[in-house]
Amino acid sequence: MRQFISKQNLISWLRQQMEARQLVAPTQVDDLILFRRIDRVDDVILQFQNTATSPKEWLFPKTETLFHVERKDGKAELIPAEIDGETVIFGLRPCDARGITMLDLPYLADPADTLYRQHRQKTVLVGLSCLTACPECFCESMGSGPEDTAALDIMFTEVRDGYLVQAITEKGRSLMPQALLSPAETVKPPAPETAPVPSEGITAKMRQAFDGPYWGRVADRCIHCNVCAYVCPTCYCFDVRDYTNKGSVERVRSWESCQSPGFTKIAGGHDPRANKGARMRQRFSHKLLYFPEQFGPLHCVGCGRCVRACPVNIDIREIMQDVQRMGAPK
Amino acid sequence: MKSDNPFVPHMATLREAVELTPDVMLFRIDLDDPDLKPDFSYQPGQFVFVSAFGTGESPFGLTSVSYRRGPLEVAVRKVGTVTGSLHELEAGASVGVRGPFGNHFPLDDFRGKNIHIIGGGIGFAPLRPVILTILDHRSDYEDLLILNGARTPQDLVFASEFDTWAASPRTRLELTVDAGDKSWTGRVALIPSVVRELNLSPQNSVAVICGPPIMIHFTLIELKKLGFADHQIVTTLEGKMKCGLGKCARCNVGDKYVCKDGPVFTLEQISTLLEQF
Repeated sequence: MRQFISKQNLISWLRQQMEARQLVAPTQVDDLILFRRIDRVDDVILQFQNTATSPKEWLFPKTETLFHVERKDGKAELIPAEIDGETVIFGLRPCDARGITMLDLPYLADPADTLYRQHRQKTVLVGLSCLTACPECFCESMGSGPEDTAALDIMFTEVRDGYLVQAITEKGRSLMPQALLSPAETVKPPAPETAPVPSEGITAKMRQAFDGPYWGRVADRCIHCNVCAYVCPTCYCFDVRDYTNKGSVERVRSWESCQSPGFTKIAGGHDPRANKGARMRQRFSHKLLYFPEQFGPLHCVGCGRCVRACPVNIDIREIMQDVQRMGAPK
Repeated sequence: MKSDNPFVPHMATLREAVELTPDVMLFRIDLDDPDLKPDFSYQPGQFVFVSAFGTGESPFGLTSVSYRRGPLEVAVRKVGTVTGSLHELEAGASVGVRGPFGNHFPLDDFRGKNIHIIGGGIGFAPLRPVILTILDHRSDYEDLLILNGARTPQDLVFASEFDTWAASPRTRLELTVDAGDKSWTGRVALIPSVVRELNLSPQNSVAVICGPPIMIHFTLIELKKLGFADHQIVTTLEGKMKCGLGKCARCNVGDKYVCKDGPVFTLEQISTLLEQF
């Protein structure tokens, strides 16, 4: 049976969540809507198309300490970081939740990435289905869609005066008190249609399009700002470095992008991917060829953020069209 | 504190630092945890990350052999920040070790074959455990050729072991340098031209190559001219690495990860990769 929560009860529920655990939700930060820790329920934004960056950073932070080094009697001791406290992320769009299933594939593969696994275990994912499609969105062509519930524990769908509630997992059910709910009397609103992109068979076509001048031409205008990787809900490459501050040492990992000129440069100066076109090809090959071959799904959920954010209009939708049109390599 | 976090290294102690060349040190490292030592086994070709806490960690091919049960050995050339910090450490210093990672040289497949070991510069270091394994199990393998090349005579690594190797049964040691000096009476030639000059036979043979990319590139050309098939050539790929676990995606090449699927590949395997490193 479909259930309903009034807007007022949703706000009370969010307040309860905020008091019991860390609540992360879309909120206004200057002129952007971003997922941030909520201290006042009024700050939660319920009406938005999608956030400027994905909620990925709450499971895979931009920078995260892996361990601290402590010195005891001249001996070094390593103190591994632990994730304590539970988090509820409210307001995930289905594409971004689908993106989390993509992070799971490499990070939870044995041996699991311990911190990511802890974030995952201690985080409840609450979705908000899409009633309108973002102009650049193409989620339905990428195996997701406005009502996709992948990775979500609870899904809300906005209706008149409130929301339809779908508790998907046990974790979700345990967090949703029946007292706040009533039987749904409204019908589910129709899901919006998203613009199609030619994703069918793209993996085989990428293999054919691998060689040739195309990637260099696309790369010509890239200024390696890395914004595509930073806004992407699925990009998962990282860097690891030691930081020393007033005698305290920690090892930290941080987001990295395959478009960075030094991404593959090794000690001694050799860089097997020094060429900009080869780096551009790596981005799209990883998304549309290698990841699907390694793990199954295409490594893109069609959220459209990289299309919106790219300052030089490199557009994965156009790239898929071009690749589909390209023939066998010369 | 024990952790299941694969990014947290095992604590270890630098037992000894031996100067192999003016810019290469051999580090002998013991894991601190006595329970861990007996289980820490590895194969020739595998690598570990060694941490200089405060600077970072880098991957190094192990130059020791597991079955001798001695300390872990890595040969470190001073080329960057982490290697620079490691070079400053003295015996007794705390370091971190993660691993072993990667696949290994297919020594089982080498049994009964003639083996040509071709190493250039610091790239010779990960070939040493292959040589030691062959010499310690000499009857399992046919003729062994060791070709070690470096920029100058001072840059030849493991020089103190050359006499032992050269005196081993059915073993031939060839040394070459790019530029000699007054005391050098040996060969002055690049490795690819030595390979050509030695006229290595592909008959029942494998060639195992490790070195700088440019040396590998031209050596492969010579080996192919001599009739070596792709499956008879075993080499290593190098990639920037941050995890060793196939997660950071830095060493991704085609549908492979150098850290997990490599670093050892036959030329046959490399030729199926979409991207050429």
